[in-house]
Formats: sequence, C-alpha cells, structure tokens
Amino acid sequence: MNMQKAWLVFKKDWLEIKRNWQVLLPIILLPLIFSVVFPIIISSVSNAPTQDVSSGDFQLLTANLPADVQALLAEMTPNQVMVYIMVLYFFAPFFLIIPVMASSVMASDSFAGERERKTIEALLATPISNSELLMGKILVSFIPAMIVTIASFAVYSTIVDIITFEIFNGILLLPNANWLIMIFGVAPVIAICSIGLTVIISAKVKGFKEAQQISVILLLPVLGLVFGQMSGLIILGPLVLAALIGILAVVDVAIIYAGVRMFQREEILAKNN
Amino acid sequence: MIETKNLTRKFRNITAVDNISFNIEKGEVFGFLGPNGAGKTTTIRMLACLISPTEGTATVAGYDIRSDPTKVRESIGILTENPSLYERLTAYENMDFFAAAYGIKTSDERQQRIRELLDFFNLWDRRNDKVATFSKGMKQKLAIVRAIVHRPPVLFLDEPTAGLDPESAKEIRDLMFQLSQHEKRTILLCTHHLEDAEKLCKRVLIMNKGRCILTGSPNELRDKINPQPVLEIELTKVSSIVLNAIKNENYAKEVKVLDQENIIAVSVGDARVDTPKIVRTIVEAQGQILSVKLLRPSLEEAYLKLIKEGKQQ
Repeated sequence: MNMQKAWLVFKKDWLEIKRNWQVLLPIILLPLIFSVVFPIIISSVSNAPTQDVSSGDFQLLTANLPADVQALLAEMTPNQVMVYIMVLYFFAPFFLIIPVMASSVMASDSFAGERERKTIEALLATPISNSELLMGKILVSFIPAMIVTIASFAVYSTIVDIITFEIFNGILLLPNANWLIMIFGVAPVIAICSIGLTVIISAKVKGFKEAQQISVILLLPVLGLVFGQMSGLIILGPLVLAALIGILAVVDVAIIYAGVRMFQREEILAKNN
Repeated sequence: MIETKNLTRKFRNITAVDNISFNIEKGEVFGFLGPNGAGKTTTIRMLACLISPTEGTATVAGYDIRSDPTKVRESIGILTENPSLYERLTAYENMDFFAAAYGIKTSDERQQRIRELLDFFNLWDRRNDKVATFSKGMKQKLAIVRAIVHRPPVLFLDEPTAGLDPESAKEIRDLMFQLSQHEKRTILLCTHHLEDAEKLCKRVLIMNKGRCILTGSPNELRDKINPQPVLEIELTKVSSIVLNAIKNENYAKEVKVLDQENIIAVSVGDARVDTPKIVRTIVEAQGQILSVKLLRPSLEEAYLKLIKEGKQQ
C-alpha cells in the first residue's frame, strides 16, 4: 500500500469536509457543549449549598467506587466529594460520545456522501488501490475525530482545573490516569469501531443522511456506559478501561476486515446506479 | 491498443453486454453508438476496470483488464456520464488531486500541465472558483481536462459534447482530432451525436441490447443500409428526351424526377464508373447540367435504420 496515495485521498476529503457545514456543525457543537457546559455545571454545583452525596443521586456511584477512592473521598468535604465525582466520573463517559459521533459523521460523508454526490466513479477510475482509498477515508474520519476529542478534553481539563483549583487547595484534578486511558486508549479504538461500522452501513445505503441516521445506533453502547456509570453499575476504572480497549480492539479488527471485504469498486458502483 | 474478445457482462438475469469483440488501433477514434441501455457504459466500465467481465477478455494499452487493473487505470483517462467533480473544491484543487492520483509527482509539473489545459479551455482565470459555481458546459470541459491531465495513451469519452454550446462542442471535437492525429492517442468515443461520430471516427460500432449490430467505417455503414448509390442531377430543364436517354442506358437502375421538376435522381451500380457516362448521355441528349451530387444516407439515417431493424428482430 502506498501511503502517499492514502494521504492524497485524506487531503482531498479533508478539504471537502472543511467546507461542509452539514458535517462540521455537529462535530464542533457537541464537543463544545461537553467541554464548556459541563464545567459550568460543576462551577454552579461547587457554589451551591453543601449536600450529602451519600444519600443523593450519586449514592450508587460512590458506593461502587474502588476502596482507595472511597478512602480519599472520606477525607473531603461533601462539596469537594460532589465536584470530585462529577469531574472525574459522572461526565467521563460522555466524552466517548465525541469520537463515535465525529468519526461516524465524517465517515458517512466520506463514503456514502461521495457516492451520493456522484463523484465516486472518477475516483474509482484512478490507479489508487482499494486499500489506499479505504485507508485515506479511514484517516479522514479518524484524525479529525481524535483531534476534536483530545481538544475537547484539553479544554474541559483546563476549565475544570481553573474552577476547582481553589476548592481542592491547589491540587489539579485533571488530567488523571483514568481520563488519559479513556481519551488516548478507549477513544481511538471506539472511533475505529465506529468508522468500520459506518463503512459497512455506507456500503448498504444510498446516501449520507441515511448512513448517518443508521449510524446513530452506534451511540447506544456508549450511552449504556454513560448510564451504567451514572447508576454505579459500571465504574470506568483502569481495569474496566483496559478490558474495554482489549474488547474493542478485537471488534475493530473484525469490523475493519468486514469493511475491507465490502469496500470493492464493483459493489460501490452498483450502489451508485 | 484496445482488444476485446467475447466480452460479456451479466447482472443477475440481465445480459448488459453480450459477446462483444473489437479491436481499436493506436491513434484511432472509435465510435461507440447505440440507444440508452445498449451496454455502451457497461463496456467502458469493464475496459476501465471499474467492473469485471462475467466472461471474455480484453487488453487496454497492452495490459489485461483482469490481471493488470492498476496498469490499465494508469494508462487511461475517462470522462464518465456525470462530470464527477468535487463541487466544494476549486477547479485547480480538483485537477491537482486527480493529476497527483494519476502519478504526476511534483507540484510544479502538475501546475504547468493544469495551466496548459485550463488555458486551452479558457478556464485558468476561474481556477480558484469552486466547481459548484461553474456552468454545465464548464464542468464538462473541466471533466475532460481531468481525463487528459496525465497524458494517457487511451481515452474513454462518454458523451464529451453533451450539454455544450456549438462553439464549445467544436473545441472538444478539435481537441479529440488533435489528440488522435497529432498525439496518437486512442479514443473510444461514446456518443449520441452522430455528427461527432461522422466527423471524428474512423470506425464505429453500433450496439443494441448488449450486442454488436455492426462495426465499420461510417461509409461502410451507409453502404450496408443503402448499397445502391444515387446521383442527384440538377438540369436547367428536364425534358422527355433527356429522361428517355437515361432510362435507355442499362447502368441506370432507377430514374426519378424530384418534386423540384428540374432535378432527377438516378440510382446507379457504381458511382465512380457511372457518373461520367450519365453526364455524357445528358449532354448528348441536349440537356444542360447545373450540378451533379452523389447522395448517401447520413450516418444518422443508417444508425436509425439499423436500430429499428434490431428492434423488429
């Protein structure tokens, strides 16, 4: 595989995506809400009258936290506990929605969108191989999705640290190991999984919107994690995150393999007609 | 340069292309004619390695379409049914991408070639405009630029003059002539414009329902549908003496006086041999000739007749 050809496809697709507000808007808006609105909620919570977290909404979540974290919480004021849990646990799985959503929107545009706009035939007539084309299109879905995820994590961390600096007497809550594993470990494998599934979905549908609508189901497992952690059923600690990376990596290989098999010039053209 | 043997493509129960065999020489413009759904685009797609044949083989520029698809793609330029241009990219960005995809490595080389072609079509001043702002004709010209940007030895052009004004259509025809005659590029021209085929093609292939009906030069096709040449002779006056004199000659198969009254149409066996004889006969019968024309059916008439016959079968 000639990576230069794959980069060529990447650059061309990126130029197109950059000028397409239909694609850019959700990719910019959602991370912006997560990285700015969540810290604002934290800020308002930190200024609110002290609550007892052991009997509130976080009761299950706190009860299922690892012993060392519970010991740490025992030494904190109720207000600090509330902010600590929200910053480090409650909002964490929401950030996994970003790579899934961003990569699937871009992959839908790059695969199904290209066919919908009837530009695919000239592209397939070039000497760029199937694997180079697929790699270029995976890269254009993966790289921006990861940039957006990392950037929103950086913004979230910065704002959170500014807000909580005084509350925790100069200790910075973020980044911590859990979040780093999640952003740099889970987010890439979940993004690849989302891209692979979108490639498969795009091969079956005619247009960008249809592919995007079906791709929404990819969010369901992530929402499962969100509600699982909120209810305390799953705690995204290092072990759970490592297991998640392992499982998703295996799923990625299977899905990408299926995607490569489906990404055939003839099949793509057949859908184009 | 292009050789196909029993090329066949089936889509489930439908045979889109059925046992097509033809050869195209280097530098030849070969016309592909036929109604919509005849199988022309499917044949081009097989030759461009976009789809594989169900049966049969073909070589393009010396490479087998089954075993060497990348080499085939490197050797061809293709103008598809749709312009297939990226509307959010500028004209230059589009061309730069395709030039690089076809292997023009340095940006200087790409720029020089793109400028040369965009200048030819008067599009260089619009190079930084998004393709979405271009007219249909401009997009068509840009798609042709894309097809030839890498100087391919073989070109597949699907309706190159569709949607163009007469001036632009002539530019494209001139370009095709130049590419075939001076640069010896082989062109497979798929068209409904029989005038284009008549002007440019050394040979044409007429397809219908996936099958090849006829292959030959435009003249051969005309002769096949109307083998007896007709001479149209304009006289100052058509007299009975002149008419009888012609009718008495055995080379005159059929003599008709046309509506204009001073024009007669004479069917002959061989126009080259019989024209001087008929002129002599008229002059000897005191007739005064104003003009003599050899009438041939146009390629369009020949085409329509063949397609009609195909439908009746």
